[in-house]
Amino acid sequence: MTTVCTLLAAALLAATQGTGNDSELEAQVARELGAAPAPGSQAPTGAQPPAGTRSPAQAAPQAVAAPAPVTGGNPYARVLLLPDISAIGRAALAWNTLEVGALSPRSDPYAPRHTLRPIFQELEVGLQAVVDPYARADVFLTFTPQGAGVEEAYLTALSLPFGLQARAGELYAPFGRLNQQHPHTWDFVDRPLALARLLAVDGLSGAGFDVAWLAPTPWFAELHLAYQAVTPGLEARQHDTGLARLSQFFDVGTASTLGVGLSAAHAGGSGGEAGRDVVGADVYYKIRPPQTRSSLALQGEALLRRAGDLPAGIAAAGAPPFDEAGSAWGGYLQAVLRDGAYASYGLRLERAPALGGGPELRASVFAGWLPSEFERLRLQAAYDVLPGGRTGVEALLALEFAIGAHGAHPF
Amino acid sequence: MNRTKPALLLAALLATVAPRAAVAALNVVTTTEGLASLAREVGGERVQVTSLSRGVQDPHFVDANPSLAVRLRNADLLIDVGLDLEVGWLPPLVIQSRNAEIATGGRRRFTAASAVSVMELPTGPVDRSVGDLHPAGNPHFLDDPRRVERVAAGIAAKLGELDPPGAATYAERLASFRKRLGEAQVRWAQELAPVKGRKVIAQHNSLTYFLDWAGLSAAGYLEPKPGTAPPPSHVASLVGVARAAGAKAILVESYYDRRSAEVLAKHTGGKVVAIPGDVGGFRDEGGHLDPKDWFAYQDTLVRLVSEAAR
Repeated sequence: MTTVCTLLAAALLAATQGTGNDSELEAQVARELGAAPAPGSQAPTGAQPPAGTRSPAQAAPQAVAAPAPVTGGNPYARVLLLPDISAIGRAALAWNTLEVGALSPRSDPYAPRHTLRPIFQELEVGLQAVVDPYARADVFLTFTPQGAGVEEAYLTALSLPFGLQARAGELYAPFGRLNQQHPHTWDFVDRPLALARLLAVDGLSGAGFDVAWLAPTPWFAELHLAYQAVTPGLEARQHDTGLARLSQFFDVGTASTLGVGLSAAHAGGSGGEAGRDVVGADVYYKIRPPQTRSSLALQGEALLRRAGDLPAGIAAAGAPPFDEAGSAWGGYLQAVLRDGAYASYGLRLERAPALGGGPELRASVFAGWLPSEFERLRLQAAYDVLPGGRTGVEALLALEFAIGAHGAHPF
Repeated sequence: MNRTKPALLLAALLATVAPRAAVAALNVVTTTEGLASLAREVGGERVQVTSLSRGVQDPHFVDANPSLAVRLRNADLLIDVGLDLEVGWLPPLVIQSRNAEIATGGRRRFTAASAVSVMELPTGPVDRSVGDLHPAGNPHFLDDPRRVERVAAGIAAKLGELDPPGAATYAERLASFRKRLGEAQVRWAQELAPVKGRKVIAQHNSLTYFLDWAGLSAAGYLEPKPGTAPPPSHVASLVGVARAAGAKAILVESYYDRRSAEVLAKHTGGKVVAIPGDVGGFRDEGGHLDPKDWFAYQDTLVRLVSEAAR
């Protein structure tokens, strides 16, 4: 039996770490050591090659004159060790016909009724670097009018076997599509209402860990299992939460990609308050002929939440954002057209649980202008319909800029 | 017998989920079709080569589609251009792939820029007031045969390092490549001789190395600064520049919008020439590359530029 297990381990090792003599030797060494290879057996992103390991091509003489011998060492050594540093600022000019704070709570920008109000939304400072031969770290600090905080700060282990990858620290929960994206990557200026009210007003995030497995399938299939202390909905108290997410992407022809995801979260009770379960489904379909930068992206998410008894704090503060049965659902559908390099347009339809029960419906449109990859100006307008037929109009003129070296974002 | 059956079933299960061993010795993934063609030139049948981007795509702006991470997962070698050409999409794919050995500096990574001398290396303070420039230097060197020869040599060396039994084959194929490159250079020099010293207008500074090799130069660029759109004032100023320099050819990669180039041509009497941005830059639907390989790409570029610059 021991032999079978050892052979199975060796076979799995070979399957996940490539083929050929190297892998066979590595598997043999693993057998002899009675353990999997050490995590440092492979070089991670950004790791520098050891001295003296330049390839023949790198060492080959160039067509230019040989450089002068370096004396006194590299004066830029400290600079070379600095992490990538970036800053992304977001500001808006807002106007509303509703008392948004009282009738349609959210954290995204809004102005007092019939007032044109400039709002500084956020400054995000990013620090990103490889930590050591085994891991990298990504830190995002956030500065808002409410104060400073850590948006995300996590370590990613890069050399785990069997297609695994692990993150630990403060991180956005792997739930749905938009929740894991930083606001400056969103197409629309604000978060869909359903995500704010069914997940978390500023995004479901918190300290914990996330282990993701890339399945050995011909298409991209990734399974996340996470455990985090998050602050769901409009609450102030943290709940220890278990999360799972399956995300898959398929090429549809040569010009389009389909992404589908299923997510689930179970938050335990906290401080005498009841727990809650949230499930979600998301879909993303992007058509982009390869010879152009124009594209059409369709995206939607639907969420269903079942909660236990009302948390005392919420009940005391006013009507809860879910109905009497303790369950609520919501979602959004959006279409975004990228017209070449410099313009984009979008339409979004939403449904979210309103304060006091019933659905709140909203339709939004935006037109965006991108002078470069590092600056964006968007004009967004929305029409909000509250339960009982009350309506409101919202307008946002949002400016965004990025400086420094900011890591590329996943698809 | 009873013990054998579960073992066979387990083996069958593993065979369905494990990465399939390719017939070729090495599974090579490149970021561009040009690099893929060079890898095929020196790797021959010992390598299975896939490009992450298409020849018709602007290599600066490829979507970091997770499907590409699947291709990288089982790559025995990743060949990239470097100099931040792929910085907007390759790093997240490498992380998603879980293939740590293809990360920057990894044993199974070859960055073509490490084999060549780099032009347009910024020497003063750098910020984006000068456009979306590449701080490490101009990465568009795969249309310069001198540098391509070095890249091919680097690929051959890396393939030999990863696949020692094939090292002799790679060396032989590199020698053959060099011989054909030498013969082609004679042909290209003859084609370019009548236009030597001429000036052209280009869309982006992607022809810097080609023009330097061909003995031509750029009188100006449609992009006022790298990566920025040409405003009417800039196009208007280029009219005088093109006339003063006698620049007739306005060279635009097939993935760029041609409206500004056509307006400029109308006012200067010049000719807009769509050039392939890479191997497969004219058509690569369904894997049908046009130009079909690096030699055909360079043939096309030399022919189009020499005809237009006359």
